[in-house]
Amino acid sequence: MVGLDIILNATWDHIILVYTTLLISIIVSIPLAFVSLYSQKLEFIVMKFVNLVQAVPSFAVVAIMVPLIGIGFKPAVVAIMLRALLPIVKNTYIGLKNVDPALIDYAEGVGLSQWHINRYIRLPNAYPAMFAGIKFAGILANSIAVLTAFIGSGGLGEIIFQGLIGYNTSTLLAGAIPAIMLAILIDRTFTILERKVTPGYGHIKG
Amino acid sequence: MVQNMQTKRLFERIDSIKLKGVTKKYDSVYAVKDLDLEIYGGELLILIGPSGSGKTTTLRMINRMIEQDSGSVTINDIDTKDVDPVRLRRNIGYVIQNIGLFPHMTIGENIGLVPKIEGWNKKEIKYKVKELLAFVSLSPDMFMDRYPKQLSGGQQQRVGLARAMAMDPPLFLMDEPFGALDPILRKQLQKEFLKVKSEINRTIVFVTHDIEEALILGDRIAIMDQAELVQVGAPEELIFNPANEMVADIVDNQRKFKHMDTLKVKDLMSQYDDEYTFEASMKSFDAIEEMTKRDLENAFVFDGHELLGQITMVNLMKCRLSDKRIMDVAGPVKVFHPYDSVAFALSELKRSGETLGLVINSKRPVGILVSDEVLLKLI
Repeated sequence: MVGLDIILNATWDHIILVYTTLLISIIVSIPLAFVSLYSQKLEFIVMKFVNLVQAVPSFAVVAIMVPLIGIGFKPAVVAIMLRALLPIVKNTYIGLKNVDPALIDYAEGVGLSQWHINRYIRLPNAYPAMFAGIKFAGILANSIAVLTAFIGSGGLGEIIFQGLIGYNTSTLLAGAIPAIMLAILIDRTFTILERKVTPGYGHIKG
Repeated sequence: MVQNMQTKRLFERIDSIKLKGVTKKYDSVYAVKDLDLEIYGGELLILIGPSGSGKTTTLRMINRMIEQDSGSVTINDIDTKDVDPVRLRRNIGYVIQNIGLFPHMTIGENIGLVPKIEGWNKKEIKYKVKELLAFVSLSPDMFMDRYPKQLSGGQQQRVGLARAMAMDPPLFLMDEPFGALDPILRKQLQKEFLKVKSEINRTIVFVTHDIEEALILGDRIAIMDQAELVQVGAPEELIFNPANEMVADIVDNQRKFKHMDTLKVKDLMSQYDDEYTFEASMKSFDAIEEMTKRDLENAFVFDGHELLGQITMVNLMKCRLSDKRIMDVAGPVKVFHPYDSVAFALSELKRSGETLGLVINSKRPVGILVSDEVLLKLI
């Protein structure tokens, strides 16, 4: 049986790992989505890259970090981030791109600059798609963070692997159940955040 | 932030807008060909013509939404090419057919967006928004925090106008602003717009394909066909001295002379629809909601089969006592019989200062007679 303090510690490590990665992914992805909006060439490169990374199996991405940057927290962050980029970049890009052209045209007509159009028209209209992408990326990050225990990131993966290796179901569940609960937590956090920032959430959905 | 610096006004008033030899081609097709046109300060100039005649392109070259290939556009002798387009457009009110209200912003935010970008503070913006909503006959407290899709088409159009007025621009560009509305509502808004126009006294360039609208609203009308300007002049000028067949056609066809005294009310009324009927016991507040939903500006109050009077959106808005029943706020309404002569009906309407009357046949409402509409069908 695993001690409660060990589970709590592992859960905390897991949370830190997932949210740090997610935050970095968002910070990297959103500018990439905007850049793609303004240059077809860059859009091609960005989309090719994120698609390619996505095509590599998760476990391979995690494994390849070891010869490249070693083991521990940082390589784990990089590995997870590579996987989390695609849903955020792609969804944000689609959200930004799919704004009714008539609205953009009108916004230009009343004298909004490109900056203002992005800030006041495109971004708010992209929120639903963007948050769907972030939520998906979060759940993905949560599951890959289990795998990165192999390269020494810590977290709930460690407990799960112990359970697997020792054929110990209760140890395995002690790692797996918090991981599942974290997935739900991530989804809820971003749903709440989405409601906070999306103007007139209820009306627009309705 | 640099972005939020207040833009200095380009012009306080319009003396004249001159388009000289303006040409715009798409591939080898002319959208506008060698156009010379002067718009005088303070006038409402209509650009009219069949679709594809170049009227919208011409309008959009004034605020540089489209750049001409050759020729020049000057406002008060300033070449628009020498001005930053963003700055130019902040000095111009812009209203389009599909209104273009931003769906994710409340009515207040829609109207206050450009002022906000221009760095006004919250209090100033709120004050301006309230003032403008009241100006277009929408109760500020009721509408400010709503989202566009909670409003009827007519209300959205009013908000569109209020938004264009936010920066108090000396020039308005309007591209079929009433194009998407049904005929009765359209007449109503045109009439209100005339009132607004005389109050704000600004220069307006107005695109339409509806000659009736052009004749009602325009100080001068510019007729375009196949990328070229065919004739420009006051309505009478176009009617009495049309430059060619095409102008005569546009102006005359719609203005067939008819013998007013042989016409009956039934010939010129609009069909009655049950959605105009409102129960006497309804609360004013609910009536506003219901009229919004049905996109109505006028409605008639009935107690069973007995007509009690009419209510108008503008009047309901003005009487703020929302729990009053509509039978207590209903105003008088002129009633006609389908076989009354139009001449009689019109003079009755004129005498009482009403713009519309209800046509009743054996106790049932069968039609609505709108005086402006009748006049236009007559001339």
